[in-house]
Amino acid sequence: MNIIVCYKLVPDPEDVVAKPDGSISLDQAEWIISDYDLMAIEAAVQLVEANGGKVMALSVGPSQLANSKAKKDVLSRGPDELYLVVDDGLRDADTSLTARTLAAAVAKLGEFDLILTGEGSADLYFQQVGMQLGELLGLPTFNAISKVEWSGGKLAVERSLEDEVEALEVPAPAVLAVTTDINQPRLPSMKEILKAGKKPVVEWTLGDLAVQDGLAQRVEVLSVRSPKQVNRKQIRIEGKPEEAAQALIGHLSKEGVL
Amino acid sequence: MEEKFDVIIVGAGLAGSAAAYRLAQEGLEVVLIERGPYPGAKNLSGGVLYGRVLNDLIPEYWKDAPIERYITNQRVAFITEQAFFNIDFKNQVFSQTPYNAVSVLRGKFDRWLGEKAEEAGAMLVPGIRVDKVLIEDRRAVGVVAGDEDMRADVIIAADGANSFLAQQVGLRGRFETGHLAVGVKELIGLPRETIEERFNLTGDEGVAYGVVGFATRGVAGGGFLYTNKESISVGLVMHLDELIETGVKPAEVIEDFLAHPMVAPLIRGGKLLEYGAHLVPEGGLAMMPRLAMDGMLVTGDAAGLSVNNGFVVRGMDLAIASGVAAAEAVLEAKKKNDFSAQGLSAYQRLMDESFAMKDMRTYAGAPAFMKNDRLYEAYPEMLVSLMTQIYHHDGAPKQHLVPMVMKSIKESKLSLFDLAVDGLKGARSL
Amino acid sequence: MAKEMWVFAEKPALQAELLACAKTLGDAAAAVVLGNQAAVDQAFAQGADKVFWLGEKPDHLLLDDYVPTLAALLKEQKPAGMLVGATRRGKAIAGRLGAALGVTVLADVKKFIAEGDSLQVSHMVFGGAAVRLEKAVTDIMLATVSFGIVEALPPDPSRKGEVVKVAFVEPKWKAVLRERKPRPPSSVNLAAAKKVVCPGRGIAKKEDLEMIFELARLLEAEVGATRPLTEGLDWLPRERYIGVSGAFVKPDLYLGVGVSGQAQHTVGITESRVIVAINKDGEAPLFSQSDYGIVGDLYQIVPALINALKARK
Ligand SMILES: Cc1cc2nc3c(=O)[nH]c(=O)nc-3n(C[C@H](O)[C@H](O)[C@H](O)COP(=O)(O)OP(=O)(O)OC[C@H]3O[C@@H](n4cnc5c(N)ncnc54)[C@H](O)[C@@H]3O)c2cc1C
Ligand SMILES: Cc1cc2nc3c(=O)[nH]c(=O)nc-3n(C[C@H](O)[C@H](O)[C@H](O)COP(=O)(O)OP(=O)(O)OC[C@H]3O[C@@H](n4cnc5c(N)ncnc54)[C@H](O)[C@@H]3O)c2cc1C
Ligand SMILES: Nc1ncnc2c1ncn2[C@@H]1O[C@H](COP(=O)(O)O)[C@@H](O)[C@H]1O
Repeated sequence: MNIIVCYKLVPDPEDVVAKPDGSISLDQAEWIISDYDLMAIEAAVQLVEANGGKVMALSVGPSQLANSKAKKDVLSRGPDELYLVVDDGLRDADTSLTARTLAAAVAKLGEFDLILTGEGSADLYFQQVGMQLGELLGLPTFNAISKVEWSGGKLAVERSLEDEVEALEVPAPAVLAVTTDINQPRLPSMKEILKAGKKPVVEWTLGDLAVQDGLAQRVEVLSVRSPKQVNRKQIRIEGKPEEAAQALIGHLSKEGVL
Repeated sequence: MEEKFDVIIVGAGLAGSAAAYRLAQEGLEVVLIERGPYPGAKNLSGGVLYGRVLNDLIPEYWKDAPIERYITNQRVAFITEQAFFNIDFKNQVFSQTPYNAVSVLRGKFDRWLGEKAEEAGAMLVPGIRVDKVLIEDRRAVGVVAGDEDMRADVIIAADGANSFLAQQVGLRGRFETGHLAVGVKELIGLPRETIEERFNLTGDEGVAYGVVGFATRGVAGGGFLYTNKESISVGLVMHLDELIETGVKPAEVIEDFLAHPMVAPLIRGGKLLEYGAHLVPEGGLAMMPRLAMDGMLVTGDAAGLSVNNGFVVRGMDLAIASGVAAAEAVLEAKKKNDFSAQGLSAYQRLMDESFAMKDMRTYAGAPAFMKNDRLYEAYPEMLVSLMTQIYHHDGAPKQHLVPMVMKSIKESKLSLFDLAVDGLKGARSL
Repeated sequence: MAKEMWVFAEKPALQAELLACAKTLGDAAAAVVLGNQAAVDQAFAQGADKVFWLGEKPDHLLLDDYVPTLAALLKEQKPAGMLVGATRRGKAIAGRLGAALGVTVLADVKKFIAEGDSLQVSHMVFGGAAVRLEKAVTDIMLATVSFGIVEALPPDPSRKGEVVKVAFVEPKWKAVLRERKPRPPSSVNLAAAKKVVCPGRGIAKKEDLEMIFELARLLEAEVGATRPLTEGLDWLPRERYIGVSGAFVKPDLYLGVGVSGQAQHTVGITESRVIVAINKDGEAPLFSQSDYGIVGDLYQIVPALINALKARK
C-alpha cells in the first residue's frame, strides 16, 4: 500500500521566547518536526512494514523546510521518499491555505491508498489541516484514529472519541488523523540516518502547483503575544506533613475557598 | 557484505568536525557520529578561540563562521572578597585579521563547523550515542551504538573530556580526579549597546577576562568572563579533587562569583540564558594518553589536550589542531593502506611538531603551579592590600613603594621565600 | 438583515454554553439540532431563537455523515457563522465544512471580541506560550469552541421559536460502523467547577488516584488531570485534562498534586483565584505560579490533608 504522511516543520515550542514587551520571538528557535506528526510517520512506516508498499512524506512550508538537516531528519524515520512545497509565501499560512496546498501537491503524487496526518501541529494545534485536506480531496476523512489496519483494500480503524471508541471500516483511499498515543515512535538508527541522505527528495514551489482559489488567506492574524501573567503570592509552607496540611487549611479558610 | 567506511569519527565537537572536514575534503568516506541532536547542542566552553589553526584549515573562516566578537582586550583580574585589581591589555594588532582570538558560542559554532564538514562530504549522524569501540584481534574495527554496529578502517575518538572510548580500548586509564577540573558557565544575555558601553568596545571588539583569587572560594582554579555580541559568558574552572575534598559546590561558587563587586556590575540587568557544567582535562602532559593504536586515534579533550594557566583556558584550538593532525595521519596511512598504530604514527609526529604539543610542554608545569594555594588567597590579597595602600588616602603620609610592598606581604602571611619560589616557578611554567 | 449566529454541538451542556455565546455575537441565535422533539425543546430552553432540525439520527449513521447536509444548509441560509462544539468529532466536522464551503475555520477559540463590524478571536498557540488574535475574512465564519468560554443561561422551558426542518443530504462516501465501545461515562464539567484537585505524573499508580478522589470529595472539588494521566496512561478520561489542548478552568481553588507546571498545562489554570502546589521538587515551575506551595512527598502530604480535613468536619 502507498501512504502519504503529512508532517509539519515547526519552531520548537521550547525555544519560543517571550520578550519583556509581550511580543514573541522565534529568532532563536530550532525548527523541528512537529511532535505529534512523529506518530503519524511511525504509523505509516509500520503499515508499510506490515503490508508492503512505500511511504511518501509530504510537507509544505517556508524555507526552513528545505534545510538539509530537516530533510534528513524526516527520512531517517522511515519514509521512502520526501515531497516538499517550499515557499516563503507559506510562512504564516492559515489552515485553509495549508490544506489547499497539500491537496494540490497530493494531486501530483500519483496513486495512494491512505493519507495520514498528526493529531495537531505543535505550534498551532488547530487539528484542522487533515480534516480540510480530506474534504478538499473528497475522500473519507476521520480524526482521533488510535488504530489502523489494512486488509483487502479497506481500512479497519478505531476512533477514540470522548465517550466511546468507534470501530469503523473505512473505504480507501482515506485521510486519517492519528492520536498521539497510537504508537511510540522509534528513534532513528545509525543506518537509517545514513540511508536518509540518499533517499529521493522532490521540491516544488507554489508556482509549480495549481492551488485551488489561489493563495488568499482566510484568516488574518492580528497579533501574537505572550499571555497575561498573574502575580501569585508564592508562599512556601514548611514543616512536617501534618503541620503543613494544617497550615494550608488555615490559609485556604482565610482565603474563603474551603 | 556489510558496508565499511574509511573513517568513523565519534563526537562532532571541534576536534571531530575538524578531522571530518579535512578527510572529506580529500574524498574519504567519513561518518561523523554525534550524540546530541546537532553538533554543539551540548558542548560548553568559555568561548575564546585562538583562531590561527582554524584559519589554516578554513582560510578566512571569520567571514563565514558565526563568531561573536574578536578579542582586543585581554584582562587579568586578581580578586579578594571585597576588591579587585585588573591588568588591562589592549592591542590594536588584535583587531587585524586573521584575528588572534575570537569569542564563540559553541551551540552555533560547532554546528557551523559540522555543516562545513557535511558540505565537504562527511556524513553526519546526529542523535546517536556510541557505546563502545568494536575490537577484533586487538584492533579497532568499528563502533557499536545500541544494537547496531558500523565498521571503518580507522576510528577517531573525539568524544571529549570524559572519553570512555579511549578508556575502553586502554589508550588511557581512568583520569584521576587530580587531572580533571570542572568548568561551570553561565551565559547572560544583555543588549548589544549595553555590552559595548560597559566594556568600552566599538563594533565587534571584545574583552576576555581571566580571574584569579577569591572567585573559587579557595579551590584551585580560575574564573573567566568573555563578551559575545549580545551576551556575556562567565564562569569558573575548578580542580575536581579539591572540589571533592572541600565539598564546595560549583553551582554555589558561581553564584558568589556573579555577585562579586568586580563581576556584578558587568552583568547587571542581564538575563540568564544558559547554565552548564563540563569536565576539563587539566593534567597537562602528565595525563596525556597514548594517541594511537591499531585502527584508532584519540583527539582533543579525549586526549587530554588542554591548557589552563589561570589566565587562559584553552582547548578548542588544540582540539582543532589535533583533529587536523589525525586526519593528515589517516590520509598518509590510506596511501600505504596500513592502518596499524605504525601506519598511523604520523599523528604523534605531527602533534609533536605542532604548536599544540609545544604549548602543552611549555605549560607542563602549569597544573602543579596552579595547585599552589597561595595563588588563590595570598597573592590576590597582597596585591589588593598594596593597591589599597597606594590609593587609600587616609591622611597619613604616603610611604615609598618598597615598605608598602613589604607591609602587604606581611599582612598576606606570605614569606619572602614563598614569593621567590613561586616567582621562579611561575616564570618557568606560564 | 438580522445577523444570525448558529450553534452545533453534540453535547447538550456544550450547546447551552455555545447558545449563550452566540447570543452575544449575533442578533439571533439558532441551533442545529439532531435528535427528538425533546432535544428541540431543550435548544429553545437554552436560548435558541430558531432551530434547524435534522431529525433523529438513525443508528447506522455517524454524526460525521451529516457534513453534506450541514454544508448545503449553510450555503443556502448564509448565517454570519456557526459555533461548533469542540469535541473531537466537532473538530472534524468543522474542518470538513470549512473546506466544503471555502470559509474560515477558527479553531479552539478562547475569546470573541467584537470590533465594530468584524469579529476577532483569540486562541493559544505554541503550546500555550502565546495568544494569537485573528480575524475571519470570509462571509461565513466557522469556529470550534470548547467548554468554559461563556456561562450557559438559566434554562427557560417556556421559550419557543421557529423550527426549520432540514432534509438529509446523502453523503458521497460512508464508513461502516462495526462496533461502538462506550468509555466510562464522564460528565465532568471542569470549566464550571468551583474547586479542582489536579493530580499529575507524580502519582505513581492508578490505584493511588483513590486518595486524590477522596481529597476531592472532602474539598467538594472536581478532579482534573494533566494530560499524561489521560493520554498515554489512560487512567482518567480525556475530558479531565486541563491545559492548552484540554479544558480551561477558573475555579476558586486549584490544587495541583505532583504536577510540574509545564506551560501547556498552566495556561489552563491562570484564571484560578487561588493556586496551590504540592510537589517534592522545590524547583518545580508550578511553585512560582502558585499562591501556596508545599514542598514534599504527596504520599505524605495528601493523607495528612485528608486527615486534617476529616478532623475539621
Ligand atoms: C567552562 C569551560 C570553559 C572553557 N573555556 C575555553 C576557552 O575559552 N577557550 C578554549 O579554547 N577552550 C575552552 N575550554 C576547553 C574546550 O571547551 C575544550 O577543550 C574543547 O571543547 C575540546 O573539544 P573536543 O572536540 O575535543 O571535545 P568536545 O567539545 O567536548 O566535543 C566532544 C563531542 O563528542 C560528543 N560525544 C561524546 N561522547 C559521545 C559518544 N559516546 N557518542 C557520540 N558522541 C559523543 C559530544 O556530544 C561532543 O559533541 C573550556 C572548557 C570549559 C568546560
Ligand atoms: C503541543 C502540546 C500540548 C500539550 N497540551 C497539554 C495540555 O493541554 N495539558 C497538559 O496537562 N499537558 C499538555 N502537554 C504536556 C505537557 O507539556 C507536560 O508534559 C505535562 O503537562 C506534564 O504533566 P505532569 O506535570 O503531570 O508531569 P511531569 O512533568 O512529569 O511532572 C510530575 C511532577 O510530579 C512530581 N512528583 C513526582 N513524584 C512525587 C511525589 N511522590 N510527591 C510529590 N511530587 C512528586 C515531580 O517532581 C514532577 O514535578 C502538551 C504538550 C505539548 C507538546
Ligand atoms: N504545513 C504542513 N505541511 C504538511 N502537513 C501539515 C502542515 N500543517 C499541518 N499539517 C498536518 O496537519 C495536521 C494538523 O495540523 P493543524 O491543523 O495545524 O493542527 C498536522 O499534524 C500535520 O500532520
